[in-house]
Amino acid sequence: MRGTLGPKGSLVVARDIRKSYAEVQALAPMSLNVACGERVALAGPSGSGKTTLLYLLAGIVQPDEGQVVIDGQSLSGLRPGEELAQLVSVMHQQFDLVPNLPVVHNVLAGRLGRWSLMRSVLSLVWPQERRLAEDTLTQLGIGGKLQERTSRLSGGEQQRVALARLLVQSSLIVLADEPVSSLDPARADDVLKLLTDLTETSGKTLVASLHSPDLIRRYFSRVIGLRDGLVQFDLPVAEMSDSVLQRLYQLDNGKGRVASVEAV
Amino acid sequence: MWRLFDNRRLLSLFLGVALVWSLASVDWGSAAVHSGGGGTLREFVLAAFPPELSPAFLRVGLAAAWQTTTFAVAAITIAVVVGLPLGALASGQVVSSSSRGRALAVGARLFLAVIRSVHELVWAVLFVAAFGFSSLAAILAIAIPYAGILGRIYGERLADAPDEPLRALRASGASPVAVLAYGRIPMALPDLLSYTFYRFECAIRAAAIMSFVGIRGLGFEIQLSLQELLFSQVWTLMLFLVGLVVLVDLWSSKVRRSLAA
Repeated sequence: MRGTLGPKGSLVVARDIRKSYAEVQALAPMSLNVACGERVALAGPSGSGKTTLLYLLAGIVQPDEGQVVIDGQSLSGLRPGEELAQLVSVMHQQFDLVPNLPVVHNVLAGRLGRWSLMRSVLSLVWPQERRLAEDTLTQLGIGGKLQERTSRLSGGEQQRVALARLLVQSSLIVLADEPVSSLDPARADDVLKLLTDLTETSGKTLVASLHSPDLIRRYFSRVIGLRDGLVQFDLPVAEMSDSVLQRLYQLDNGKGRVASVEAV
Repeated sequence: MWRLFDNRRLLSLFLGVALVWSLASVDWGSAAVHSGGGGTLREFVLAAFPPELSPAFLRVGLAAAWQTTTFAVAAITIAVVVGLPLGALASGQVVSSSSRGRALAVGARLFLAVIRSVHELVWAVLFVAAFGFSSLAAILAIAIPYAGILGRIYGERLADAPDEPLRALRASGASPVAVLAYGRIPMALPDLLSYTFYRFECAIRAAAIMSFVGIRGLGFEIQLSLQELLFSQVWTLMLFLVGLVVLVDLWSSKVRRSLAA
Protein backbone atom coordinates (compact mmCIF):
# COMPACT_ATOMS: atom_id res chain seq x y z
CA MET A 1 0.00 0.00 0.00
CA ARG A 2 1.05 3.56 -0.49
CA GLY A 3 1.85 4.94 2.88
CA THR A 4 2.00 8.53 1.72
CA LEU A 5 -1.72 9.10 1.84
CA GLY A 6 -3.03 8.97 5.36
CA PRO A 7 -6.70 8.33 5.96
CA LYS A 8 -7.23 12.03 6.60
CA GLY A 9 -6.32 13.12 3.08
CA SER A 10 -8.22 10.29 1.46
CA LEU A 11 -11.66 10.35 -0.03
CA VAL A 12 -11.92 6.56 -0.07
CA VAL A 13 -10.56 4.49 2.77
CA ALA A 14 -10.94 0.71 2.55
CA ARG A 15 -9.66 -1.02 5.65
CA ASP A 16 -8.81 -4.75 5.68
CA ILE A 17 -11.65 -5.62 3.33
CA ARG A 18 -12.06 -9.25 2.34
CA LYS A 19 -14.67 -11.03 0.25
CA SER A 20 -15.33 -14.68 -0.53
CA TYR A 21 -18.06 -16.27 -2.57
CA ALA A 22 -18.93 -19.77 -1.35
CA GLU A 23 -15.44 -20.74 -0.13
CA VAL A 24 -13.73 -19.09 -3.10
CA GLN A 25 -11.70 -16.11 -2.09
CA ALA A 26 -12.57 -13.28 -4.46
CA LEU A 27 -10.49 -10.68 -2.68
CA ALA A 28 -7.80 -11.32 -0.07
CA PRO A 29 -7.70 -8.89 2.87
CA MET A 30 -6.49 -5.56 1.53
CA SER A 31 -6.47 -1.91 2.43
CA LEU A 32 -6.69 0.96 0.02
CA ASN A 33 -6.74 4.74 0.17
CA VAL A 34 -7.78 6.87 -2.77
CA ALA A 35 -7.28 10.63 -2.70
CA CYS A 36 -9.77 13.11 -4.07
CA GLY A 37 -9.28 13.64 -7.80
CA GLU A 38 -7.16 10.55 -8.35
CA ARG A 39 -7.77 8.47 -11.46
CA VAL A 40 -7.11 4.86 -10.55
CA ALA A 41 -6.95 2.02 -13.06
CA LEU A 42 -7.50 -1.57 -11.88
CA ALA A 43 -5.67 -4.08 -14.04
CA GLY A 44 -5.60 -7.85 -13.89
CA PRO A 45 -6.82 -10.98 -15.66
CA SER A 46 -10.43 -12.15 -15.49
CA GLY A 47 -11.33 -13.44 -12.05
CA SER A 48 -8.59 -11.41 -10.38
CA GLY A 49 -11.01 -9.54 -8.12
CA LYS A 50 -11.33 -6.23 -10.00
CA THR A 51 -15.09 -6.33 -10.20
CA THR A 52 -15.37 -7.48 -6.59
CA LEU A 53 -13.20 -4.56 -5.46
CA LEU A 54 -15.28 -2.11 -7.51
CA TYR A 55 -18.53 -3.48 -6.12
CA LEU A 56 -17.17 -3.28 -2.58
CA LEU A 57 -16.19 0.36 -3.15
CA ALA A 58 -19.63 1.00 -4.65
CA GLY A 59 -21.43 -0.56 -1.71
CA ILE A 60 -23.14 -2.98 -4.10
CA VAL A 61 -21.69 -5.90 -2.16
CA GLN A 62 -20.68 -5.83 1.48
CA PRO A 63 -17.26 -7.08 2.61
CA ASP A 64 -17.06 -10.20 4.77
CA GLU A 65 -14.66 -8.28 6.98
CA GLY A 66 -13.36 -4.74 7.14
CA GLN A 67 -15.12 -1.62 5.99
CA VAL A 68 -15.20 0.98 3.26
CA VAL A 69 -15.41 4.63 4.26
CA ILE A 70 -16.10 7.28 1.66
CA ASP A 71 -15.94 10.95 2.58
CA GLY A 72 -16.08 9.98 6.23
CA GLN A 73 -19.19 7.82 5.88
CA SER A 74 -19.08 4.07 6.26
CA LEU A 75 -20.86 2.38 3.35
CA SER A 76 -22.30 -0.36 5.55
CA GLY A 77 -24.31 2.25 7.44
CA LEU A 78 -25.79 3.91 4.36
CA ARG A 79 -29.11 3.07 2.85
CA PRO A 80 -28.66 1.93 -0.73
CA GLY A 81 -30.25 4.41 -3.07
CA GLU A 82 -30.39 8.05 -2.18
CA GLU A 83 -27.48 8.46 0.23
CA LEU A 84 -25.15 6.07 -1.55
CA ALA A 85 -25.99 7.56 -4.94
CA GLN A 86 -24.54 10.92 -3.91
CA LEU A 87 -21.23 9.33 -3.01
CA VAL A 88 -20.75 6.74 -5.71
CA SER A 89 -21.97 6.16 -9.24
CA VAL A 90 -21.23 3.07 -11.25
CA MET A 91 -20.81 2.64 -14.99
CA HIS A 92 -21.38 -0.91 -16.19
CA GLN A 93 -20.12 -2.78 -19.22
CA GLN A 94 -23.54 -2.60 -20.80
CA PHE A 95 -25.18 0.78 -20.94
CA ASP A 96 -28.21 -0.49 -18.99
CA LEU A 97 -30.53 2.19 -20.31
CA VAL A 98 -34.29 1.78 -20.49
CA PRO A 99 -34.68 1.34 -24.26
CA ASN A 100 -38.18 2.68 -24.79
CA LEU A 101 -37.88 5.84 -22.75
CA PRO A 102 -36.92 9.13 -24.41
CA VAL A 103 -33.26 10.05 -23.91
CA VAL A 104 -34.13 12.90 -21.54
CA HIS A 105 -35.62 10.53 -18.94
CA ASN A 106 -32.70 8.13 -19.14
CA VAL A 107 -30.36 11.04 -18.43
CA LEU A 108 -32.50 12.48 -15.66
CA ALA A 109 -32.71 9.02 -14.05
CA GLY A 110 -29.34 10.05 -12.59
CA ARG A 111 -31.22 12.62 -10.49
CA LEU A 112 -33.71 10.17 -8.99
CA GLY A 113 -31.65 9.82 -5.82
CA ARG A 114 -32.05 13.55 -5.16
CA TRP A 115 -35.66 13.98 -6.19
CA SER A 116 -38.76 13.28 -4.16
CA LEU A 117 -41.02 10.58 -5.54
CA MET A 118 -43.58 13.21 -6.59
CA ARG A 119 -40.97 15.10 -8.53
CA SER A 120 -39.63 11.90 -10.12
CA VAL A 121 -43.04 10.91 -11.41
CA LEU A 122 -43.92 14.46 -12.45
CA SER A 123 -40.70 14.59 -14.44
CA LEU A 124 -41.97 11.86 -16.75
CA VAL A 125 -44.63 14.36 -17.89
CA TRP A 126 -42.75 17.66 -17.46
CA PRO A 127 -39.02 16.91 -17.43
CA GLN A 128 -37.44 18.54 -14.38
CA GLU A 129 -33.97 20.07 -14.61
CA ARG A 130 -34.27 19.75 -18.36
CA ARG A 131 -31.50 22.29 -18.88
CA LEU A 132 -29.07 20.12 -16.94
CA ALA A 133 -29.86 17.13 -19.16
CA GLU A 134 -29.60 19.25 -22.30
CA ASP A 135 -26.30 20.86 -21.29
CA THR A 136 -24.76 17.54 -20.34
CA LEU A 137 -25.77 15.94 -23.62
CA THR A 138 -24.45 18.96 -25.52
CA GLN A 139 -21.11 18.57 -23.72
CA LEU A 140 -21.08 14.99 -24.96
CA GLY A 141 -21.93 16.08 -28.50
CA ILE A 142 -25.48 14.71 -28.74
CA GLY A 143 -27.50 17.71 -27.57
CA GLY A 144 -30.07 17.27 -30.32
CA LYS A 145 -31.15 13.81 -29.21
CA LEU A 146 -32.99 14.90 -26.05
CA GLN A 147 -36.47 13.79 -27.13
CA GLU A 148 -35.52 10.74 -29.16
CA ARG A 149 -36.40 7.28 -28.06
CA THR A 150 -33.23 5.78 -26.60
CA SER A 151 -33.48 2.52 -28.54
CA ARG A 152 -33.21 4.48 -31.82
CA LEU A 153 -29.75 5.78 -30.96
CA SER A 154 -26.57 4.12 -32.19
CA GLY A 155 -24.40 2.17 -29.75
CA GLY A 156 -21.96 5.07 -29.44
CA GLU A 157 -24.74 7.54 -28.76
CA GLN A 158 -26.27 5.26 -26.14
CA GLN A 159 -22.89 5.07 -24.44
CA ARG A 160 -22.95 8.86 -24.22
CA VAL A 161 -26.44 8.83 -22.77
CA ALA A 162 -25.23 6.41 -20.07
CA LEU A 163 -22.29 8.74 -19.47
CA ALA A 164 -24.65 11.71 -19.22
CA ARG A 165 -26.75 9.88 -16.63
CA LEU A 166 -23.58 9.20 -14.64
CA LEU A 167 -22.59 12.87 -14.81
CA VAL A 168 -25.94 14.34 -13.72
CA GLN A 169 -25.88 12.00 -10.74
CA SER A 170 -22.83 14.10 -9.75
CA SER A 171 -21.48 11.71 -7.14
CA LEU A 172 -18.06 12.23 -5.58
CA ILE A 173 -16.66 9.06 -7.10
CA VAL A 174 -17.23 7.39 -10.45
CA LEU A 175 -16.59 3.65 -10.64
CA ALA A 176 -16.45 1.99 -14.03
CA ASP A 177 -16.37 -1.76 -14.60
CA GLU A 178 -14.50 -2.35 -17.86
CA PRO A 179 -16.21 0.64 -19.49
CA VAL A 180 -14.52 0.14 -22.86
CA SER A 181 -14.03 -3.61 -23.12
CA SER A 182 -16.70 -4.04 -25.79
CA LEU A 183 -15.60 -1.07 -27.91
CA ASP A 184 -13.25 -0.75 -30.83
CA PRO A 185 -9.95 1.04 -30.03
CA ALA A 186 -10.97 4.41 -31.46
CA ARG A 187 -14.24 4.54 -29.59
CA ALA A 188 -12.62 3.18 -26.43
CA ASP A 189 -10.18 6.07 -26.55
CA ASP A 190 -13.02 8.51 -27.18
CA VAL A 191 -15.13 7.26 -24.25
CA LEU A 192 -12.20 7.27 -21.83
CA LYS A 193 -11.29 10.77 -22.93
CA LEU A 194 -14.82 11.97 -22.22
CA LEU A 195 -14.94 10.10 -18.92
CA THR A 196 -11.61 11.43 -17.67
CA ASP A 197 -12.13 14.98 -18.99
CA LEU A 198 -15.52 15.29 -17.38
CA THR A 199 -14.53 13.76 -14.07
CA GLU A 200 -11.42 15.95 -14.03
CA THR A 201 -13.23 19.23 -14.72
CA SER A 202 -15.79 18.48 -12.02
CA GLY A 203 -13.11 17.35 -9.55
CA LYS A 204 -14.44 13.80 -9.29
CA THR A 205 -12.45 10.72 -8.46
CA LEU A 206 -12.40 7.87 -10.96
CA VAL A 207 -11.73 4.19 -10.40
CA ALA A 208 -12.02 1.98 -13.49
CA SER A 209 -11.02 -1.53 -14.46
CA LEU A 210 -9.42 -1.97 -17.86
CA HIS A 211 -6.73 -3.97 -19.64
CA SER A 212 -5.06 -1.76 -22.22
CA PRO A 213 -1.63 -0.48 -21.05
CA ASP A 214 -1.86 2.37 -23.57
CA LEU A 215 -5.17 3.61 -22.23
CA ILE A 216 -3.99 3.25 -18.63
CA ARG A 217 -0.91 5.35 -19.42
CA ARG A 218 -2.87 7.97 -21.30
CA TYR A 219 -5.78 8.56 -18.95
CA PHE A 220 -4.94 7.41 -15.43
CA SER A 221 -2.67 8.59 -12.65
CA ARG A 222 -2.33 5.39 -10.66
CA VAL A 223 -2.55 1.69 -11.44
CA ILE A 224 -3.34 -1.24 -9.14
CA GLY A 225 -2.57 -4.76 -10.37
CA LEU A 226 -4.74 -7.58 -9.04
CA ARG A 227 -4.35 -11.29 -9.47
CA ASP A 228 -6.18 -14.15 -7.74
CA GLY A 229 -7.68 -11.65 -5.32
CA LEU A 230 -4.27 -10.34 -4.27
CA VAL A 231 -2.81 -6.89 -4.91
CA GLN A 232 0.35 -7.42 -7.00
CA PHE A 233 1.39 -3.80 -7.31
CA ASP A 234 0.10 -0.30 -6.68
CA LEU A 235 2.07 2.28 -8.61
CA PRO A 236 1.91 5.76 -10.08
CA VAL A 237 1.34 5.18 -13.78
CA ALA A 238 4.70 6.79 -14.60
CA GLU A 239 6.43 3.92 -12.78
CA MET A 240 4.44 1.17 -14.49
CA SER A 241 6.72 -0.86 -16.75
CA ASP A 242 5.61 -3.20 -19.52
CA SER A 243 7.15 -6.19 -17.77
CA VAL A 244 5.11 -5.57 -14.62
CA LEU A 245 1.92 -5.72 -16.65
CA GLN A 246 3.06 -8.72 -18.67
CA ARG A 247 3.76 -10.65 -15.51
CA LEU A 248 0.27 -9.75 -14.24
CA TYR A 249 -1.42 -11.28 -17.25
CA GLN A 250 0.74 -14.41 -17.60
CA LEU A 251 -1.43 -17.51 -17.55
CA ASP A 252 0.58 -19.03 -14.70
CA ASN A 253 3.98 -18.68 -13.10
CA GLY A 254 6.23 -21.63 -13.94
CA LYS A 255 4.35 -24.41 -15.68
CA GLY A 256 1.68 -22.09 -17.01
CA ARG A 257 4.29 -20.11 -18.85
CA VAL A 258 5.11 -23.13 -21.01
CA ALA A 259 1.41 -23.74 -21.53
CA SER A 260 0.88 -20.18 -22.67
CA VAL A 261 3.70 -20.39 -25.17
CA GLU A 262 2.29 -23.61 -26.55
CA ALA A 263 -1.13 -22.07 -26.78
CA VAL A 264 0.28 -19.35 -29.03
CA MET B 1 -37.07 -42.13 -8.82
CA TRP B 2 -39.96 -43.39 -10.94
CA ARG B 3 -43.22 -43.70 -9.12
CA LEU B 4 -46.47 -45.13 -10.41
CA PHE B 5 -48.60 -42.38 -8.87
CA ASP B 6 -46.82 -39.06 -8.64
CA ASN B 7 -48.89 -35.90 -8.56
CA ARG B 8 -48.80 -35.27 -12.29
CA ARG B 9 -49.85 -38.77 -13.21
CA LEU B 10 -52.66 -38.66 -10.67
CA LEU B 11 -53.91 -35.37 -12.06
CA SER B 12 -53.77 -36.62 -15.67
CA LEU B 13 -55.63 -39.76 -14.67
CA PHE B 14 -58.25 -37.73 -12.84
CA LEU B 15 -58.77 -35.40 -15.81
CA GLY B 16 -58.97 -38.34 -18.20
CA VAL B 17 -61.60 -40.07 -16.11
CA ALA B 18 -63.57 -36.84 -15.82
CA LEU B 19 -63.54 -36.42 -19.61
CA VAL B 20 -64.74 -39.94 -20.30
CA TRP B 21 -67.37 -39.66 -17.62
CA SER B 22 -68.69 -36.34 -18.97
CA LEU B 23 -68.83 -37.67 -22.54
CA ALA B 24 -70.66 -40.77 -21.35
CA SER B 25 -73.19 -38.72 -19.44
CA VAL B 26 -74.31 -36.75 -22.53
CA ASP B 27 -77.50 -38.10 -24.06
CA TRP B 28 -76.42 -38.55 -27.68
CA GLY B 29 -79.93 -39.49 -28.81
CA SER B 30 -82.38 -37.35 -30.72
CA ALA B 31 -82.86 -34.93 -27.84
CA ALA B 32 -79.43 -33.36 -28.39
CA VAL B 33 -80.81 -31.38 -31.34
CA HIS B 34 -84.21 -29.70 -31.14
CA SER B 35 -86.73 -31.40 -33.41
CA GLY B 36 -87.49 -28.20 -35.32
CA GLY B 37 -83.87 -27.09 -34.98
CA GLY B 38 -82.83 -27.73 -38.57
CA GLY B 39 -85.57 -25.51 -39.94
CA THR B 40 -84.86 -22.72 -37.48
CA LEU B 41 -81.16 -22.86 -38.25
CA ARG B 42 -81.83 -22.55 -42.00
CA GLU B 43 -84.17 -19.65 -41.39
CA PHE B 44 -81.58 -17.97 -39.21
CA VAL B 45 -78.80 -18.31 -41.79
CA LEU B 46 -81.01 -17.10 -44.64
CA ALA B 47 -82.00 -14.04 -42.60
CA ALA B 48 -78.44 -12.74 -42.98
CA PHE B 49 -79.15 -11.99 -46.68
CA PRO B 50 -79.68 -9.17 -46.16
CA PRO B 51 -79.70 -8.16 -42.51
CA GLU B 52 -82.15 -5.49 -41.39
CA LEU B 53 -80.75 -2.21 -42.75
CA SER B 54 -83.60 0.23 -42.37
CA PRO B 55 -82.40 3.63 -41.04
CA ALA B 56 -84.71 3.37 -38.06
CA PHE B 57 -83.27 0.02 -36.97
CA LEU B 58 -79.69 1.10 -37.67
CA ARG B 59 -80.31 3.98 -35.28
CA VAL B 60 -81.47 1.48 -32.66
CA GLY B 61 -78.36 -0.64 -33.26
CA LEU B 62 -76.06 2.37 -33.14
CA ALA B 63 -77.54 3.58 -29.85
CA ALA B 64 -77.19 0.11 -28.35
CA ALA B 65 -73.62 -0.23 -29.63
CA TRP B 66 -72.80 3.17 -28.14
CA GLN B 67 -74.21 2.15 -24.78
CA THR B 68 -72.28 -1.12 -24.79
CA THR B 69 -69.10 0.75 -25.74
CA THR B 70 -69.49 3.27 -22.93
CA PHE B 71 -69.93 0.45 -20.41
CA ALA B 72 -66.82 -1.28 -21.71
CA VAL B 73 -64.71 1.92 -21.78
CA ALA B 74 -65.75 2.93 -18.26
CA ALA B 75 -65.21 -0.60 -16.94
CA ILE B 76 -61.77 -1.08 -18.50
CA THR B 77 -60.68 2.37 -17.31
CA ILE B 78 -61.60 1.54 -13.73
CA ALA B 79 -59.99 -1.89 -14.11
CA VAL B 80 -56.69 -0.34 -15.27
CA VAL B 81 -56.69 2.32 -12.55
CA VAL B 82 -57.34 -0.29 -9.85
CA GLY B 83 -55.40 -3.17 -11.42
CA LEU B 84 -52.11 -1.37 -12.09
CA PRO B 85 -51.26 -0.37 -8.51
CA LEU B 86 -52.56 -3.66 -7.15
CA GLY B 87 -50.59 -5.58 -9.76
CA ALA B 88 -47.46 -3.59 -8.95
CA LEU B 89 -47.99 -4.37 -5.28
CA ALA B 90 -48.64 -8.04 -6.01
CA SER B 91 -45.46 -8.28 -8.10
CA GLY B 92 -43.57 -7.82 -4.82
CA GLN B 93 -41.22 -5.35 -6.52
CA VAL B 94 -42.35 -2.08 -4.96
CA VAL B 95 -42.38 -3.17 -1.35
CA SER B 96 -39.41 -4.00 0.84
CA SER B 97 -38.57 -7.65 1.33
CA SER B 98 -39.36 -7.35 5.02
CA SER B 99 -42.10 -9.56 6.41
CA ARG B 100 -44.53 -6.63 6.29
CA GLY B 101 -43.70 -6.01 2.63
CA ARG B 102 -44.17 -9.65 1.79
CA ALA B 103 -47.47 -9.72 3.62
CA LEU B 104 -48.62 -6.73 1.56
CA ALA B 105 -47.68 -8.46 -1.69
CA VAL B 106 -49.40 -11.69 -0.68
CA GLY B 107 -52.44 -9.71 0.45
CA ALA B 108 -52.65 -7.92 -2.90
CA ARG B 109 -52.29 -11.20 -4.79
CA LEU B 110 -55.02 -12.79 -2.69
CA PHE B 111 -57.34 -9.81 -3.16
CA LEU B 112 -56.83 -9.94 -6.96
CA ALA B 113 -57.56 -13.67 -6.93
CA VAL B 114 -60.76 -13.18 -4.98
CA ILE B 115 -62.21 -10.43 -7.18
CA ARG B 116 -61.41 -12.23 -10.42
CA SER B 117 -62.67 -15.61 -9.29
CA VAL B 118 -66.25 -14.33 -9.44
CA HIS B 119 -67.59 -14.00 -13.00
CA GLU B 120 -68.84 -10.61 -14.24
CA LEU B 121 -72.38 -11.97 -14.60
CA VAL B 122 -72.45 -12.99 -10.96
CA TRP B 123 -71.22 -9.55 -9.96
CA ALA B 124 -73.93 -8.14 -12.25
CA VAL B 125 -76.64 -10.09 -10.44
CA LEU B 126 -75.34 -8.70 -7.15
CA PHE B 127 -75.14 -5.11 -8.37
CA VAL B 128 -78.50 -5.19 -10.08
CA ALA B 129 -79.93 -6.28 -6.77
CA ALA B 130 -78.15 -3.37 -5.12
CA PHE B 131 -78.45 -0.56 -7.69
CA GLY B 132 -81.23 -1.72 -10.02
CA PHE B 133 -80.82 -1.86 -13.81
CA SER B 134 -78.40 1.05 -13.88
CA SER B 135 -75.25 1.73 -15.89
CA LEU B 136 -73.33 1.67 -12.62
CA ALA B 137 -74.29 -1.95 -12.03
CA ALA B 138 -73.03 -2.98 -15.48
CA ILE B 139 -69.81 -0.99 -15.23
CA LEU B 140 -68.87 -2.22 -11.76
CA ALA B 141 -69.80 -5.80 -12.62
CA ILE B 142 -67.21 -5.77 -15.42
CA ALA B 143 -64.63 -3.50 -13.78
CA ILE B 144 -64.19 -5.60 -10.63
CA PRO B 145 -63.25 -9.01 -12.10
CA TYR B 146 -61.29 -7.29 -14.87
CA ALA B 147 -59.25 -5.36 -12.31
CA GLY B 148 -58.37 -8.76 -10.83
CA ILE B 149 -57.40 -10.19 -14.20
CA LEU B 150 -55.40 -7.13 -15.31
CA GLY B 151 -53.71 -6.86 -11.92
CA ARG B 152 -52.52 -10.42 -12.12
CA ILE B 153 -51.10 -10.10 -15.63
CA TYR B 154 -49.61 -6.64 -14.90
CA GLY B 155 -47.92 -8.02 -11.81
CA GLU B 156 -46.28 -10.82 -13.78
CA ARG B 157 -45.15 -8.55 -16.62
CA LEU B 158 -43.75 -5.96 -14.23
CA ALA B 159 -41.84 -8.59 -12.29
CA ASP B 160 -40.34 -10.00 -15.51
CA ALA B 161 -38.73 -6.76 -16.70
CA PRO B 162 -35.03 -7.15 -17.63
CA ASP B 163 -32.89 -6.64 -14.56
CA GLU B 164 -29.80 -4.71 -15.75
CA PRO B 165 -31.49 -1.36 -16.45
CA LEU B 166 -33.35 -1.67 -13.16
CA ARG B 167 -30.11 -2.23 -11.30
CA ALA B 168 -28.69 0.88 -12.90
CA LEU B 169 -31.74 2.88 -11.80
CA ARG B 170 -31.43 1.61 -8.25
CA ALA B 171 -27.74 2.46 -8.29
CA SER B 172 -28.55 6.05 -9.22
CA GLY B 173 -30.69 6.25 -6.12
CA ALA B 174 -34.19 5.54 -7.44
CA SER B 175 -36.73 4.31 -4.89
CA PRO B 176 -38.71 1.15 -5.74
CA VAL B 177 -41.67 3.21 -6.97
CA ALA B 178 -39.37 5.36 -9.11
CA VAL B 179 -37.81 2.16 -10.51
CA LEU B 180 -41.36 1.09 -11.36
CA ALA B 181 -42.11 4.37 -13.14
CA TYR B 182 -38.77 4.73 -14.95
CA GLY B 183 -37.94 1.09 -15.61
CA ARG B 184 -40.51 -1.60 -15.11
CA ILE B 185 -43.55 0.14 -16.61
CA PRO B 186 -41.79 1.59 -19.69
CA MET B 187 -40.09 -1.72 -20.45
CA ALA B 188 -43.28 -3.75 -19.99
CA LEU B 189 -45.49 -1.17 -21.71
CA PRO B 190 -45.92 -2.92 -25.09
CA ASP B 191 -47.03 -6.11 -23.30
CA LEU B 192 -49.24 -4.23 -20.87
CA LEU B 193 -50.97 -2.29 -23.65
CA SER B 194 -51.45 -5.30 -25.86
CA TYR B 195 -53.05 -7.27 -23.05
CA THR B 196 -55.20 -4.32 -21.98
CA PHE B 197 -56.54 -3.95 -25.52
CA TYR B 198 -57.35 -7.63 -25.61
CA ARG B 199 -59.19 -7.26 -22.32
CA PHE B 200 -61.01 -4.22 -23.74
CA GLU B 201 -62.38 -6.48 -26.50
CA CYS B 202 -63.47 -8.94 -23.84
CA ALA B 203 -65.09 -6.09 -21.91
CA ILE B 204 -67.17 -5.22 -24.98
CA ARG B 205 -68.42 -8.78 -25.20
CA ALA B 206 -69.07 -8.81 -21.47
CA ALA B 207 -70.96 -5.50 -21.70
CA ALA B 208 -73.08 -6.94 -24.50
CA ILE B 209 -74.23 -9.91 -22.42
CA MET B 210 -75.20 -7.73 -19.48
CA SER B 211 -78.67 -8.12 -21.04
CA PHE B 212 -78.87 -11.47 -19.24
CA VAL B 213 -79.48 -9.54 -16.05
CA GLY B 214 -81.68 -6.97 -17.79
CA ILE B 215 -79.21 -4.17 -18.49
CA ARG B 216 -79.60 -2.43 -21.86
CA GLY B 217 -77.11 -2.53 -24.71
CA LEU B 218 -76.41 -4.59 -27.82
CA GLY B 219 -77.14 -7.88 -26.07
CA PHE B 220 -80.46 -6.56 -24.82
CA GLU B 221 -81.55 -5.65 -28.36
CA ILE B 222 -80.36 -9.04 -29.65
CA GLN B 223 -82.46 -10.72 -27.03
CA LEU B 224 -85.55 -8.67 -27.94
CA SER B 225 -85.18 -9.43 -31.66
CA LEU B 226 -84.57 -13.13 -30.95
CA GLN B 227 -87.69 -13.36 -28.85
CA GLU B 228 -89.71 -12.06 -31.80
CA LEU B 229 -87.78 -14.33 -34.21
CA LEU B 230 -86.62 -11.29 -36.21
CA PHE B 231 -83.36 -12.95 -37.27
CA SER B 232 -82.37 -10.30 -39.82
CA GLN B 233 -82.33 -7.79 -36.96
CA VAL B 234 -80.21 -10.16 -34.89
CA TRP B 235 -77.68 -10.25 -37.73
CA THR B 236 -77.52 -6.47 -37.90
CA LEU B 237 -76.86 -6.25 -34.17
CA MET B 238 -74.22 -8.96 -34.32
CA LEU B 239 -72.51 -7.07 -37.13
CA PHE B 240 -72.39 -4.04 -34.86
CA LEU B 241 -70.73 -6.18 -32.21
CA VAL B 242 -68.19 -7.55 -34.68
CA GLY B 243 -67.60 -4.00 -35.90
CA LEU B 244 -66.78 -2.82 -32.38
CA VAL B 245 -64.30 -5.62 -31.81
CA VAL B 246 -62.64 -5.02 -35.20
CA LEU B 247 -62.34 -1.30 -34.41
CA VAL B 248 -60.65 -2.04 -31.09
CA ASP B 249 -58.32 -4.46 -32.86
CA LEU B 250 -57.35 -1.83 -35.45
CA TRP B 251 -56.79 0.75 -32.74
CA SER B 252 -54.69 -1.71 -30.75
CA SER B 253 -52.40 -2.59 -33.64
CA LYS B 254 -52.02 1.09 -34.51
CA VAL B 255 -50.94 1.92 -30.97
CA ARG B 256 -48.56 -1.04 -30.84
CA ARG B 257 -47.00 -0.07 -34.17
CA SER B 258 -46.37 3.45 -32.95
CA LEU B 259 -44.70 2.02 -29.84
CA ALA B 260 -42.50 -0.35 -31.80
CA ALA B 261 -41.35 2.31 -34.27
